[in-house]
Amino acid sequence: MDTTIFIDTTLCTACRGCQVACKQWHDLPAEKTVNRGTYQNPADLSFNTYKLVRMSEQMVDGKLHWLFFPDQCRHCLEPPCRDTADDARAIFTDDATGAVIYTANTRNLDAAEVIESCPYDVPRRSADGTLAKCDLCYDRVQNGLAPACVKVCGTGAMNFGARKDMLSLAEKRLKTVQAKFPNAALLDPGDVRVIYLVAHDPGLYHKNAVAAVRSPVHMTRKMALRQMLRPFNRKAVRFPV
Amino acid sequence: MELTRRGFIKISGATAAGLAVSGLGVDLKPVKSHAQMLKTKYAKETTTICPYCAVGCGAIVHTSKRGDGRVMNIEGDPDHVINRGSLCAKGAGLKQLVENENRLTVPMYRAPYSDKWQTVSWDWALEKIAKRVKATRDQTFSAQNAAGQQVNRCEGIASVGSAALDNEECWLYQTLLRALGLVYIEHQARI
Amino acid sequence: MTNHWIDIKNSDCILVMGSNAAENHPISFKYVNEAMAHGATLISVDPRFTRTSARADIYAPLRSGTDIAFLGGMIKYILDNDLYHAEYVADYTNASFIVGKAYKFKNGLFAGYDAKKRKYDKSRWAFAKDGTGVPQMDRSLKHKRSVFQLMKKHYRRYNIKLVSQITGTPEADLRKIYKTYAATGKRGKAATIMYAMGWTQHTTGVQNIRAMAIIQLLLGNMGVAGGGVNALRGESNVQGSTDHCLLWHIWPGYLATPSTKWPKLQDYLKRRPQSKDPLSANWWQNEPKYMVSILKSLFGDNASAANDFGYDWVPKVDAGTHYSWLDLFDEMYKGTFKGFFAWGQNPACSGANAGKNRKAFEKLDWMVNVNLFGNETGSFWKAPGVDPAKIKTEVFMLPAAVSVEKEGSITNSGRWMQWRYQGPKPMGDSRPDGDIIMELGHKIIELYKKEGGTFTQPLTNLKWDYLTAGQYDPHKVAKQINGYFLKDVTLKGKTYRKGSLVPSFAFLQADGSTSSGNWLYCNSYTEKGNMAARRSHKDAVNGIGLYPQFAWCWPVNRRIIYNRASVDVTGQPWDHKDWVIRFVGEAKAGKYVSKKWIGDVPDGGWYPLRNPDGSARADAKHPFIMRPHGHAQIFGPGRADGPLPEHYEPLECPVERNFMNPQYINPTAPVYKADTDAFATCDPRFPYVATTYRVVEHWQTGVMTRPQSWLMEAQPQVFVEMSEQLAKLRGIKNGQRVKVSSARGALEATAIVTKRLQPFRISGTTVHQVGIPWHFGWRWPQSGAEESANLLTPAVGDPNTRIPETKAFMVNVTRT
Repeated sequence: MDTTIFIDTTLCTACRGCQVACKQWHDLPAEKTVNRGTYQNPADLSFNTYKLVRMSEQMVDGKLHWLFFPDQCRHCLEPPCRDTADDARAIFTDDATGAVIYTANTRNLDAAEVIESCPYDVPRRSADGTLAKCDLCYDRVQNGLAPACVKVCGTGAMNFGARKDMLSLAEKRLKTVQAKFPNAALLDPGDVRVIYLVAHDPGLYHKNAVAAVRSPVHMTRKMALRQMLRPFNRKAVRFPV
Repeated sequence: MELTRRGFIKISGATAAGLAVSGLGVDLKPVKSHAQMLKTKYAKETTTICPYCAVGCGAIVHTSKRGDGRVMNIEGDPDHVINRGSLCAKGAGLKQLVENENRLTVPMYRAPYSDKWQTVSWDWALEKIAKRVKATRDQTFSAQNAAGQQVNRCEGIASVGSAALDNEECWLYQTLLRALGLVYIEHQARI
Repeated sequence: MTNHWIDIKNSDCILVMGSNAAENHPISFKYVNEAMAHGATLISVDPRFTRTSARADIYAPLRSGTDIAFLGGMIKYILDNDLYHAEYVADYTNASFIVGKAYKFKNGLFAGYDAKKRKYDKSRWAFAKDGTGVPQMDRSLKHKRSVFQLMKKHYRRYNIKLVSQITGTPEADLRKIYKTYAATGKRGKAATIMYAMGWTQHTTGVQNIRAMAIIQLLLGNMGVAGGGVNALRGESNVQGSTDHCLLWHIWPGYLATPSTKWPKLQDYLKRRPQSKDPLSANWWQNEPKYMVSILKSLFGDNASAANDFGYDWVPKVDAGTHYSWLDLFDEMYKGTFKGFFAWGQNPACSGANAGKNRKAFEKLDWMVNVNLFGNETGSFWKAPGVDPAKIKTEVFMLPAAVSVEKEGSITNSGRWMQWRYQGPKPMGDSRPDGDIIMELGHKIIELYKKEGGTFTQPLTNLKWDYLTAGQYDPHKVAKQINGYFLKDVTLKGKTYRKGSLVPSFAFLQADGSTSSGNWLYCNSYTEKGNMAARRSHKDAVNGIGLYPQFAWCWPVNRRIIYNRASVDVTGQPWDHKDWVIRFVGEAKAGKYVSKKWIGDVPDGGWYPLRNPDGSARADAKHPFIMRPHGHAQIFGPGRADGPLPEHYEPLECPVERNFMNPQYINPTAPVYKADTDAFATCDPRFPYVATTYRVVEHWQTGVMTRPQSWLMEAQPQVFVEMSEQLAKLRGIKNGQRVKVSSARGALEATAIVTKRLQPFRISGTTVHQVGIPWHFGWRWPQSGAEESANLLTPAVGDPNTRIPETKAFMVNVTRT
């Protein structure tokens, strides 16, 4: 089934239900953290943290906004990481859900190359070189349940369903939100299975909110071809695409 | 107890055509699919209400039917009319409240002037406490107050707690305290 | 909550003030967002820009402890601009009542103040009454001693400029909020207030909420869908534990605790005022039935009319003496108690001036602490800096089972009683609290039976038959709470058999023929079964999300209380879209001839006050049935600190005078005088306003959440939030550990330097405020470096509730 997550950040309260539900379902260990002068913790995604609510305080037109961005793998329709790996035993797209799945065999890949191929800086490696990231809870999805992060969300920020339904929900919400925030946009909706709606410049939420070429050094020919089609450091793409 | 479970998605089994071929002519067809089994499939399901804030969200507890009989998973109850399956960070992590190595699992006693806990049996602890309660009550009970009015109360024992108890336990606890004659009875609602 | 969680979706304007719902009641935002999707406005008023503020249409800052100034300004705005719901105010509130000539308000004091006793003679605030004892009324609201006119006069001083000067809220924000909120005074519009401890934990706590209740009454927002006064209770069963009255001053179902004021049962049963007004239901006149039914639940067959149902066996408090939390720890500190139970609570961290509580434990001979985890209370004797060799206290630490390991019910903030089931068995040798209580109680009773002792009757006569197969049975207790017929009783032509469950509290009797452990819960477990376990998704006929067959709520499954005020005097809803109840009795020639309400369970099923032709009915009742005169109280002559809310500064505050009146602080606030009770107001050593709060990742003192790794990962350490300006002033960098100190204690915390806090301009000067969560304590995390914010807070309270003022006090912040 062709699935998609639609994340409406304008409804998110950063309760971090999604962040903990992800750890719970996947039995992921907690990281040792310290308060770094912010509510956000852990500091970043990691081998044991697939979902992270990023928080950022920004002044927009003289008004304070506390922006919340529940970050995770976008499950690209054409995943550069999968292409870079070029090894279906390590990274594959699950055709029952569309989820991009990393297996233990990622240990045998060039981790740095895979990580740098990601336009959203999502994959993380463990000490032994294995890579990990969100798996879209494809075990749940295959069994008729929403991903843990979506099911747990009480605000309506996290939504999951058939891609066409999510695209039309995203479009509808975009129109509504634009009435209040004219700069609202959907992020890379044509390229990914995890589509964000933001009210302001996506860069204010997170540096990797929208796709960007992060390192040309390790680009494969295939990736280079694809990325030639993308403007560098581009801003949000308005719907429709 | 009856549980109805509404799946969130109707699995169509179809793979979108758009996935199959990219505009670059590279074959991006999904290469593999692993059928996944839900880890909670054979678990016992019970419903509960979240023990934290007072919104009263429903949750489903999956308890292993095999082995240690412990909790495998707790997630929001989609059939609960308030939260409809959702939970916050605390509710989402509810399993760690239950399955937690830091929990107290045996009664403990700290003797006067001692610097350590010692493990004791329930019988020992409750018998000792019962004796302390009786001795204190008998010593500090006032049939009358300073003005000579009948008061029949125990002024040497105080109790605080508990919004952490179930209704039935709260009611039962206050009957015991009031039968003992306590008047210093307070709990979380006051603070 | 007068309303309930789902009902928030029906609101047109949501004010979150004195709470931070997105953070502490996260799933409420399901309904806040739903209301906003339908066009509702969300307003957040808070000293800090919070996760709630992040979603709000309007955010305004307010200096901690100045809520009455803010709300008083709104009352004035509503009155000045005639935005109140005139019919509602005139017919349903006591705005029309005439106050006696002895009442006055001058220089910040109401009539009758005794400075020596720090107490009012409340008789000076009494209503003028007619010959039968019914208050004199002027429904035109023009009488100069009518509550309406006195209120108008009282709030004349609360102009926007002065309010802004006191609160630090910019004038433009005040105007915008007043205008937006007051727009719901229109018929068919509703606004709701979501408040919590941000309003209660003040020396003016009760009056904060009264001020809001006045606003809700003026706008006709009580009893309607999307309205109400909604206290967001902070613990899963703090509503139930309050209903069952684990509190010194009330007995189950909010009955008064027996006191020397009522030495005999007959005195107690006569204590409630009777109303001579035939239109007043005066529901509390039924109290004798509830009290006798409780005594029958307590003592069973041992309670009879001959022995006053055992009234002599239950303890009496001294009239005029307080036994509340602050008093309790003050007495413990003095050494009054030998024994102490801390059952599922952690007063070493949860109480105001927690350092005093910790010292007080040392005076005890023994302590019993029941909890899921080791905590700062049970382990106080080995706290940092404490020498166990000097502590005599014996401590019994008993391991309790987690909620999912047992069966029973809890009551949420919307008064919904919900049943929970057992998943796994209790871990290790932990036990459900119910089993611990039962076994301990039986052991004590056995000792008394065997050895005799002092005043054994209440223990040996206690009806405690709640075991099944040797174990505590929550169903048996739940049924006892509901109550039984104790003999065959025939009521209104129907016979109820001895031993059957009472259908509802309307059937309870004062003659000993019924038992009920708590009248408010009578109807929760009947011959039809366990109502709390119901799971039906069918909504009521009005389709406003009442879900009347999902769980059960008190009283008698009424989901929105005071709902008789949601209709006009002829019984037709103010709001035709989101209506709560509607009178659909038959009318003939302009007169109702049959009685029928649909929708929610009405607050009494009597006829509406008037017929369709406008004629008054003699068989009707005023809608606020719990008040002796049936009217909601804009004027509240029963409160300790005055019948109308007035702004006073917190006990510890940053200003040298109260700009509203010459009376500085609440003149009736109780203050304690142990050597640990230091206070510092306008003291250069403690120049910054502080407040405490919670975060979503932790709960209360953190005993249940600090031992969990996922939550600790998200929120690992105690922090202090401050503005960039204050940080600069103190040379503090974001993320640095700093020392926060008050007149009572100090702790180390991580600085969060943020734009979300801004300095206030208070009467021309800059006032800084900081905030600290109170979830931490030395026991967890194991570093021992994180401590409770309540080491800082003062043991001073509201004169009505004695809830401590932990939301506004003064501190210093320095680099470590």
